[in-house]
Amino acid sequence: MSKKSFVECERQRIQKLIDFRLPEVFKWVGALLVVAAFVLFFVKNQFPDSAVVIRDIGRKLFIVGLLCISLSRDKEEDEMTIALRAQSYAIAFIIGVLYALIMPYVEFGVSNVVHSGGEAYKDLGDFQLLSFMFLIQLGFYYTLKRYR
Amino acid sequence: MENTIKVERAILSLTQDDLAKKIGVSRQTINSIEANRYVPSTVLALKLSEVFNKPVNDFFKLSDDD
Repeated sequence: MSKKSFVECERQRIQKLIDFRLPEVFKWVGALLVVAAFVLFFVKNQFPDSAVVIRDIGRKLFIVGLLCISLSRDKEEDEMTIALRAQSYAIAFIIGVLYALIMPYVEFGVSNVVHSGGEAYKDLGDFQLLSFMFLIQLGFYYTLKRYR
Repeated sequence: MENTIKVERAILSLTQDDLAKKIGVSRQTINSIEANRYVPSTVLALKLSEVFNKPVNDFFKLSDDD
Protein backbone atom coordinates (compact mmCIF):
# COMPACT_ATOMS: atom_id res chain seq x y z
CA MET A 1 0.00 0.00 0.00
CA SER A 2 1.43 3.39 -0.99
CA LYS A 3 1.86 6.12 1.60
CA LYS A 4 -0.82 8.25 -0.04
CA SER A 5 -3.46 5.51 -0.08
CA PHE A 6 -2.56 4.57 3.50
CA VAL A 7 -3.11 8.18 4.63
CA GLU A 8 -6.37 8.29 2.64
CA CYS A 9 -7.52 5.03 4.23
CA GLU A 10 -6.71 6.39 7.72
CA ARG A 11 -8.52 9.63 6.94
CA GLN A 12 -11.64 7.77 5.79
CA ARG A 13 -11.57 5.61 8.91
CA ILE A 14 -11.34 8.68 11.17
CA GLN A 15 -14.13 10.38 9.20
CA LYS A 16 -16.32 7.29 9.64
CA LEU A 17 -15.66 7.45 13.39
CA ILE A 18 -16.49 11.18 13.51
CA ASP A 19 -19.71 10.64 11.52
CA PHE A 20 -20.85 7.74 13.71
CA ARG A 21 -24.37 8.18 15.08
CA LEU A 22 -26.81 5.75 16.62
CA PRO A 23 -30.27 5.40 15.02
CA GLU A 24 -33.01 7.75 16.24
CA VAL A 25 -34.67 4.99 18.31
CA PHE A 26 -31.68 5.04 20.69
CA LYS A 27 -32.93 8.37 22.03
CA TRP A 28 -35.84 6.44 23.55
CA VAL A 29 -33.57 3.59 24.64
CA GLY A 30 -31.40 6.17 26.41
CA ALA A 31 -34.42 7.80 28.05
CA LEU A 32 -35.59 4.40 29.29
CA LEU A 33 -32.15 3.67 30.73
CA VAL A 34 -32.13 7.04 32.52
CA VAL A 35 -35.60 6.34 33.96
CA ALA A 36 -34.43 2.84 35.02
CA ALA A 37 -31.41 4.44 36.71
CA PHE A 38 -33.67 6.81 38.67
CA VAL A 39 -35.86 3.87 39.71
CA LEU A 40 -32.75 2.07 41.00
CA PHE A 41 -31.64 5.21 42.88
CA PHE A 42 -35.03 5.32 44.62
CA VAL A 43 -35.27 1.58 45.44
CA LYS A 44 -31.69 1.19 46.65
CA ASN A 45 -32.67 2.18 50.19
CA GLN A 46 -35.12 -0.75 50.30
CA PHE A 47 -32.17 -3.13 50.02
CA PRO A 48 -29.53 -1.88 52.47
CA ASP A 49 -27.31 -4.94 51.97
CA SER A 50 -26.88 -4.37 48.26
CA ALA A 51 -27.39 -0.59 48.19
CA VAL A 52 -23.85 0.07 46.92
CA VAL A 53 -24.18 -2.46 44.08
CA ILE A 54 -27.60 -1.07 43.08
CA ARG A 55 -26.22 2.50 43.20
CA ASP A 56 -23.27 1.52 40.99
CA ILE A 57 -25.55 -0.22 38.47
CA GLY A 58 -27.84 2.82 38.50
CA ARG A 59 -24.90 5.14 37.85
CA LYS A 60 -23.68 3.03 34.92
CA LEU A 61 -27.20 2.91 33.46
CA PHE A 62 -27.51 6.68 33.85
CA ILE A 63 -24.23 7.34 32.00
CA VAL A 64 -24.98 4.79 29.24
CA GLY A 65 -28.49 6.27 28.86
CA LEU A 66 -27.15 9.80 28.50
CA LEU A 67 -24.52 8.53 26.03
CA CYS A 68 -27.26 6.89 23.92
CA ILE A 69 -29.29 10.12 23.89
CA SER A 70 -26.20 12.14 23.05
CA LEU A 71 -25.09 9.86 20.19
CA SER A 72 -28.48 9.24 18.61
CA ARG A 73 -29.49 10.86 15.35
CA ASP A 74 -32.11 13.58 15.14
CA LYS A 75 -35.30 13.21 13.14
CA GLU A 76 -34.05 16.00 10.87
CA GLU A 77 -30.29 15.63 10.78
CA ASP A 78 -28.47 18.14 8.57
CA GLU A 79 -25.22 20.08 8.58
CA MET A 80 -26.57 22.69 10.98
CA THR A 81 -27.55 20.14 13.64
CA ILE A 82 -24.09 18.56 13.22
CA ALA A 83 -22.48 21.98 13.75
CA LEU A 84 -24.69 22.67 16.80
CA ARG A 85 -23.84 19.26 18.26
CA ALA A 86 -20.12 19.94 17.81
CA GLN A 87 -20.55 23.32 19.54
CA SER A 88 -22.41 21.71 22.43
CA TYR A 89 -19.65 19.11 22.92
CA ALA A 90 -17.02 21.86 22.95
CA ILE A 91 -19.00 23.91 25.49
CA ALA A 92 -19.60 20.83 27.66
CA PHE A 93 -15.88 19.99 27.61
CA ILE A 94 -14.80 23.49 28.65
CA ILE A 95 -17.46 23.81 31.37
CA GLY A 96 -16.66 20.25 32.53
CA VAL A 97 -12.98 21.12 32.97
CA LEU A 98 -13.86 24.29 34.91
CA TYR A 99 -16.35 22.30 37.02
CA ALA A 100 -13.72 19.65 37.80
CA LEU A 101 -11.24 22.35 38.83
CA ILE A 102 -13.56 24.54 40.89
CA MET A 103 -16.25 22.24 42.31
CA PRO A 104 -14.03 20.29 44.78
CA TYR A 105 -13.05 23.59 46.43
CA VAL A 106 -16.68 24.75 46.54
CA GLU A 107 -17.74 21.45 48.15
CA PHE A 108 -14.83 21.69 50.58
CA GLY A 109 -15.73 25.28 51.51
CA VAL A 110 -19.44 24.58 51.87
CA SER A 111 -18.88 21.50 54.02
CA ASN A 112 -16.57 23.56 56.25
CA VAL A 113 -19.23 26.22 56.67
CA VAL A 114 -22.10 23.76 57.26
CA HIS A 115 -20.25 21.29 59.48
CA SER A 116 -17.97 23.02 61.96
CA GLY A 117 -15.10 20.55 61.50
CA GLY A 118 -15.60 20.20 57.77
CA GLU A 119 -14.59 17.37 55.50
CA ALA A 120 -11.26 16.58 53.91
CA TYR A 121 -10.71 17.84 50.35
CA LYS A 122 -11.70 15.23 47.77
CA ASP A 123 -11.71 15.23 43.95
CA LEU A 124 -14.84 14.71 41.87
CA GLY A 125 -15.81 11.17 40.97
CA ASP A 126 -16.10 10.04 37.35
CA PHE A 127 -19.89 9.70 37.64
CA GLN A 128 -20.34 13.25 38.90
CA LEU A 129 -18.13 14.72 36.18
CA LEU A 130 -19.45 12.61 33.29
CA SER A 131 -23.10 13.11 34.17
CA PHE A 132 -22.50 16.87 34.55
CA MET A 133 -20.79 17.06 31.13
CA PHE A 134 -23.52 15.02 29.43
CA LEU A 135 -26.26 17.14 30.98
CA ILE A 136 -24.49 20.34 29.89
CA GLN A 137 -23.99 18.94 26.37
CA LEU A 138 -27.61 17.86 25.98
CA GLY A 139 -28.90 21.07 27.57
CA PHE A 140 -26.84 23.28 25.27
CA TYR A 141 -27.61 21.18 22.19
CA TYR A 142 -31.37 21.38 22.63
CA THR A 143 -31.21 25.05 23.63
CA LEU A 144 -29.10 25.91 20.57
CA LYS A 145 -31.47 23.89 18.39
CA ARG A 146 -34.51 25.66 19.80
CA TYR A 147 -33.03 29.12 19.14
CA ARG A 148 -31.47 28.36 15.75
CA MET B 1 -22.10 37.26 5.23
CA GLU B 2 -25.37 38.58 3.86
CA ASN B 3 -27.77 36.81 1.55
CA THR B 4 -30.87 37.35 -0.55
CA ILE B 5 -32.22 33.82 -0.30
CA LYS B 6 -35.58 35.09 0.89
CA VAL B 7 -35.91 37.16 -2.31
CA GLU B 8 -34.74 34.31 -4.54
CA ARG B 9 -37.19 32.00 -2.82
CA ALA B 10 -40.02 34.49 -3.33
CA ILE B 11 -39.17 34.77 -7.04
CA LEU B 12 -39.63 31.00 -7.39
CA SER B 13 -42.71 31.05 -5.07
CA LEU B 14 -41.12 28.53 -2.76
CA THR B 15 -41.85 28.25 0.95
CA GLN B 16 -39.00 27.65 3.40
CA ASP B 17 -40.24 24.09 3.70
CA ASP B 18 -40.24 23.54 -0.09
CA LEU B 19 -36.69 24.86 -0.39
CA ALA B 20 -35.57 22.79 2.61
CA LYS B 21 -36.94 19.62 1.00
CA LYS B 22 -35.28 20.44 -2.33
CA ILE B 23 -31.81 20.71 -0.80
CA GLY B 24 -32.26 18.10 1.95
CA VAL B 25 -32.12 20.20 5.13
CA SER B 26 -34.64 21.20 7.79
CA ARG B 27 -36.90 24.25 7.50
CA GLN B 28 -35.19 25.73 10.58
CA THR B 29 -31.84 25.60 8.78
CA ILE B 30 -33.26 27.63 5.88
CA ASN B 31 -34.72 30.07 8.40
CA SER B 32 -31.34 30.44 10.13
CA ILE B 33 -29.53 30.97 6.82
CA GLU B 34 -32.04 33.62 5.75
CA ALA B 35 -31.67 35.39 9.10
CA ASN B 36 -27.84 35.31 8.73
CA ARG B 37 -27.50 33.24 11.89
CA TYR B 38 -25.88 30.35 10.06
CA VAL B 39 -23.39 30.32 7.19
CA PRO B 40 -23.98 27.21 5.06
CA SER B 41 -21.26 24.93 3.75
CA THR B 42 -20.04 25.14 0.16
CA VAL B 43 -22.06 22.02 -0.68
CA LEU B 44 -25.27 23.60 0.57
CA ALA B 45 -24.48 26.90 -1.17
CA LEU B 46 -23.97 25.03 -4.45
CA LYS B 47 -27.26 23.16 -3.96
CA LEU B 48 -28.99 26.52 -3.48
CA SER B 49 -27.26 27.81 -6.59
CA GLU B 50 -28.66 24.85 -8.52
CA VAL B 51 -32.20 25.49 -7.27
CA PHE B 52 -32.05 29.24 -8.00
CA ASN B 53 -30.16 28.63 -11.26
CA LYS B 54 -27.74 31.43 -10.37
CA PRO B 55 -24.09 31.61 -9.30
CA VAL B 56 -23.51 31.52 -5.53
CA ASN B 57 -22.18 35.08 -5.30
CA ASP B 58 -25.43 36.41 -6.77
CA PHE B 59 -27.24 35.66 -3.53
CA PHE B 60 -24.37 35.49 -0.99
CA LYS B 61 -22.36 38.65 -0.33
CA LEU B 62 -19.52 39.32 2.08
CA SER B 63 -20.38 41.97 4.65
CA ASP B 64 -17.96 44.62 5.97
CA ASP B 65 -17.09 42.63 9.10
CA ASP B 66 -16.13 39.45 7.14
